[in-house]
Amino acid sequence: MTPKAMFPKLLPSAAGLVRRIFLSSRPLSSSSAASLATAELSSPHTNSVDADEEGIITMKGVRISGRPIYLDMQATTPVDPRVVDAMLPFYLARFGNPHSRTHLYGWESEEAVESARTQVAALVGANPKEIFFTSGATESNNISVKGVMRFYRDKKRHVVTTQTEHKCVLDSCRHLQQEGFDVTYLPVRSDGLVDLERLASAIRPDTGLVSVMAVNNEIGVVQPLEEIGKICKEKGVPFHTDAAQALGKIPIDVERMGIGLMSLSGHKIYGPKGVGALYLRRRPRIRVEPQMSGGGQERGIRSGTVPTPLVVGFGKACEIAMKEMEYDGRRIAALHERLLKGIREKLDRVVVNGSIEHRYAGNLNLSFAFVEGESLLMGLQAVAVSSGSACTSASLEPSYVLRALGVDEDMAHTSIRFGIGRFTTEAEIDHTIKFIVHTVKKLRDMSPLYELDKEGVDIQKIKWSQH
Amino acid sequence: MAASASAMVVASRAELLSLFRSLLRTASKFSDFNIREYARRRTIDGFRENRHLSDPASVAAAFADGNSQLDIARRQTTEIYGGKKIGQNILI
Repeated sequence: MTPKAMFPKLLPSAAGLVRRIFLSSRPLSSSSAASLATAELSSPHTNSVDADEEGIITMKGVRISGRPIYLDMQATTPVDPRVVDAMLPFYLARFGNPHSRTHLYGWESEEAVESARTQVAALVGANPKEIFFTSGATESNNISVKGVMRFYRDKKRHVVTTQTEHKCVLDSCRHLQQEGFDVTYLPVRSDGLVDLERLASAIRPDTGLVSVMAVNNEIGVVQPLEEIGKICKEKGVPFHTDAAQALGKIPIDVERMGIGLMSLSGHKIYGPKGVGALYLRRRPRIRVEPQMSGGGQERGIRSGTVPTPLVVGFGKACEIAMKEMEYDGRRIAALHERLLKGIREKLDRVVVNGSIEHRYAGNLNLSFAFVEGESLLMGLQAVAVSSGSACTSASLEPSYVLRALGVDEDMAHTSIRFGIGRFTTEAEIDHTIKFIVHTVKKLRDMSPLYELDKEGVDIQKIKWSQH
Repeated sequence: MAASASAMVVASRAELLSLFRSLLRTASKFSDFNIREYARRRTIDGFRENRHLSDPASVAAAFADGNSQLDIARRQTTEIYGGKKIGQNILI
């Protein structure tokens, strides 16, 4: 929203007006936040998330006095009201199928889809003909990895990727291995960045694809896309990048970065869930074998009715992201600093996982020494954060990304990922700092290992005796 | 957003102030805490960023943009769920 300015000579009277508006607008009340110190356990009476009259929510045995502060932007983002506004007409009156060629409903739906395609293409510097809508970044990753290799299966038998990729890329590679392809999983340095020399030396004459994600969803590290693109161009290998977390947050230019295939996701940039896109380069043309068979929609790359409302929402979200990238970037960087400084001032032995310089500011992954991860999360019911990524949190294993960084098991278990986004406020950051510091201090007070460490004992060198 | 000269709306200072006030008033009607705060903050920052615009075409474009944002905000702050709150953020 960039409305009109006030003329300079207005300022004296306008300033008074602005002051009055400021004072009359609803102030933030922190009394309810202060009254919530910890979450109490109570027997679960209802599974409904509806709050009762005082606003208290009970779910899964936990009572909190309001909805938690949302700091998990890497898992998903709230849908921007401007996006909802763009989508609603296509659920209400303009509900046509974009592939219906014979009536107005189809024509207007197709026009909306093509306009959304242009919006998505503009954000990444591509031609609209190179954008194909899918059901999400996972499907786009599947099409990229499996589709490219299966198409060129006669000549190319090798894939190069990294150990910190998203689960869908790693699982697709595993499937390819079962089909007889070779896959090299490159290790990363301890700051999360891929080693460019190792990448260059891993590429063989029969390498069909190099896949390195742009921004990691767990640690927020930004890979050197331009350098990787240059290496791949020299060797003549298509470069695929999973840009689900990067879209709209760091500037992406497929020409400058030499990207051949790219996976995009709608619900990470304040758009709807269930939609994504695949960028597929036309010059030089990269061919893929379609993973969805059907009526040949999306030029045969992805059959199935294109979901107009979702696609329109995705396009609008991309348009908003392009306009707001600088404003949001500045704000999120400032909030990131505030959060990190606020936590570090009150707590020691806090480690940031991943490179600090090559990082997207909205993702902060911290490990707190001498604190157990599950109990930390249970104590943090007022703040919605995640430990490890949502995809791997079902299993009890520590995150494979942190393991690839070389983080010790105990530190990997206590990692918390804070996701800061467009709608995060300073008050939320300040309250998060308070909750985290309170919970970590409480847990550390109960930790005998922390006491030993404070006395100067090196925990690694202790010889535990057997009873 | 490019307005042709004939379609340009020349905005008076009263209209600009009215737009600013309407945006803030509508922003306060959002039921979600984060969106409400964002709408308020973005309005104020947006006006502040554009306060030195002097070229009539860009002034008119920004004014038109502001009006369309006001329309969106008005549509999205209507009572869709019959007044039942979906859930208050813990900070309110």
